[in-house]
Amino acid sequence: MTAPITTASGTRSAARGGGSGTEVRRRRRVQHPWSIVAFVAPFAALFVLFYLVPIGVAIWQSLLVVEREGTFGEAREVFGGLQQYVLVFQNEAFWTSVGRVLLFGIVQVPVMLGLALLFALLLDSPLIRGKKFFRLAFFAPYAVPGVIAAIMWGFLYSPNLSPFEALTSRVDLLSADFVLWAIANVVTWVFVGYNMLIIYSTLLAIPQEIYEAARIDGAGQARIAWSIKIPLVRPALVLTAVLSIIGTLQLLAEPQTFRSFSSAVTSTYTPNMTIYATSSIPNVSLAAAFSVVLALATFVLSFAFLRFTRRAGADS
Amino acid sequence: MRHTKRAVTAALLTSAALALTGCAAGDSGSGGGDAASCEPAGEDVTLTFTSWIPGIEDAVAIWNEANADIQVEVQTGPSGNAGTYQNFFNQLEAGNAPDLGQIEYDALPNFRVQDGLEDLAACEDVVAAQDQFLDWTWGQVTLGTEDEVYGVPQDQGPMALFYRSDLFEQAGIEVPTTWEEYREAAVTIREQGGYITNFSQTDINQFAGFVWQAGGQWFANDGDAWTVELTSDESMTVADYWQDLIENDLVATYPAWTDEWNNAYNSGEVWSWNSAVWGANSIASGAPDTAGDWSVALAPQWESGDSAAGNWGGSSIAVFKGTDHLYEAAKFALWLNTSEEALTSLNQTAAIYPATEAGLELPTLTEGVEFYGGQPIYDVFAEAAAQVSPDFVWGPTMTQTYADVSDGFKAAASGSSTLGEALEKGQASTIDALEAQSIPVAE
Repeated sequence: MTAPITTASGTRSAARGGGSGTEVRRRRRVQHPWSIVAFVAPFAALFVLFYLVPIGVAIWQSLLVVEREGTFGEAREVFGGLQQYVLVFQNEAFWTSVGRVLLFGIVQVPVMLGLALLFALLLDSPLIRGKKFFRLAFFAPYAVPGVIAAIMWGFLYSPNLSPFEALTSRVDLLSADFVLWAIANVVTWVFVGYNMLIIYSTLLAIPQEIYEAARIDGAGQARIAWSIKIPLVRPALVLTAVLSIIGTLQLLAEPQTFRSFSSAVTSTYTPNMTIYATSSIPNVSLAAAFSVVLALATFVLSFAFLRFTRRAGADS
Repeated sequence: MRHTKRAVTAALLTSAALALTGCAAGDSGSGGGDAASCEPAGEDVTLTFTSWIPGIEDAVAIWNEANADIQVEVQTGPSGNAGTYQNFFNQLEAGNAPDLGQIEYDALPNFRVQDGLEDLAACEDVVAAQDQFLDWTWGQVTLGTEDEVYGVPQDQGPMALFYRSDLFEQAGIEVPTTWEEYREAAVTIREQGGYITNFSQTDINQFAGFVWQAGGQWFANDGDAWTVELTSDESMTVADYWQDLIENDLVATYPAWTDEWNNAYNSGEVWSWNSAVWGANSIASGAPDTAGDWSVALAPQWESGDSAAGNWGGSSIAVFKGTDHLYEAAKFALWLNTSEEALTSLNQTAAIYPATEAGLELPTLTEGVEFYGGQPIYDVFAEAAAQVSPDFVWGPTMTQTYADVSDGFKAAASGSSTLGEALEKGQASTIDALEAQSIPVAE
């Protein structure tokens, strides 16, 4: 959420950085240290309290193991090194679920971002009427909480109660073959509008002169979209892609909701569901180890994607 | 481009942090150890109590009215496995658990193994109350020990057979008294386009009730180690029986407690349900169009002439470790689950079926029930309650066992596995879960 704002301010300070060197040097001398502390402190305190400390506790928790004597002996938590991580890497169900969300992401993220880009381009095109309405209409599903969306679509997919019973009674969309894509459809429905808005706001920032120049060169709307707009919204596409990859790996609400009406969704269907199930055993140390591994996997995957897109961008 | 990278890094950090915060647990265990003594505080006391029984506030209000010195603040939340247990575990971890909590029998060992419960055997009144309860309900709260008590039984779920008497009669089917007859009836009903029942893939405690009735066990605890026997002979017999019904399309496999499932009962597609006493209300609310068409009979037996019943559900009121008012908490828990005024109130607001001998004779539990064509159905359940074996033991990680067996049952319902395989996998994963927490398992 903070990302677009950071981009904007980053651009602004970079522009200012191009000013004279003396100005930069003068600014370096801190004139009001206490007022700076006063402004930063609330953020810093909350950041430490709600991000850094919990991360530290989770990492610490993941290094503990339980010891006890007898069947109802008192439990003691002792330092166990990386024992929980050994269990994580031995856990077949967890890695199956990681594979499942990767497959989900490879298909769903391009489809969703493709639609988001298409809608954004349509909204930006001078040929379309009723832009305000469509902008709101596309964005509206994002206002529906994920769980509610999942319940709603669950009804639509239901073999016997669906308004599209003619279809759903023949093709069981909640069966093992289809349910992953049924969930993908729900996620796409919710998030297309959100991603569209990020791309659309980038489109609005493109200076009109560029379009004028293109038109003078004889480019039509399709050509402008393909050769000017899409290359210029590339950073926004990369951003939305990374956010979507993160979201995919952390899929929880939709499949958890689908669990109650589909036989195919197990308690370890996605990595986050495995973590949730483990923490309700309750085996918090193992759940913490799962979380740390999932967070690291998310980091690796997102940075790999960034590196890949940057290289592809440099080549072109 | 560089700015995008920085922005994305920020986004990454933020969401990774979110992922981690979601799972960060509290401080290490609360220690425990020193057994609390059961002495009156000698001053005014306020107790906190968490439950999910609808309308329990009414019963608590009756208590508060009469006991100015022991006031109870009740808080209600979602049912145990839907979130309240998780809250309890977190509260215990954080050292701010309520004084009293609602805990189902199958979850008591889990709280005991996490060292979350006070032993009520320190309180004379609790020990003296044993005779008021049905033997098997008392067995559920002693966890197989001789002289320890970890909760006061509140209600029970003896199982019987709910069936559509109108449809059975039209089809000329006698009410099945054995599981063999039940299968024969299933064939006849299937020929007429219906299903005799729906096999639930998620109600593993219902399946445990079947195993219970068959005289089987899933767990045993000799004090030194747990024995896990999800694949015991009785358990596998029950699994094979239902597997056969599923394979031959003689039972429906709708996901339980969904609208689809309600619809299957409401439309008359499914003709019977092997359920607990509290199921009486579930049918009435889920299948309102069938009012007056249902009856209740004792459960089918494995051997003709046997008289065994299973149990599904039932809960206790437990006192959490760390309470300063064991005496008062135990006093309230006893009153709530033995006094006629409290049991009457609980029965009226939430159809609680008491765990005491006297409670089963409440006036409301001897009357005919309109939804069941005026049949005094609770007489059947009182008979079933007396037939429940007192020996059934629950394991210390039932949430996990239920989830894993349910995953397997789902696969069986969709035809890609069998119930027997599900139990085998559940057996293995339960042993893994116990060993992961250093809970000793016998070979």
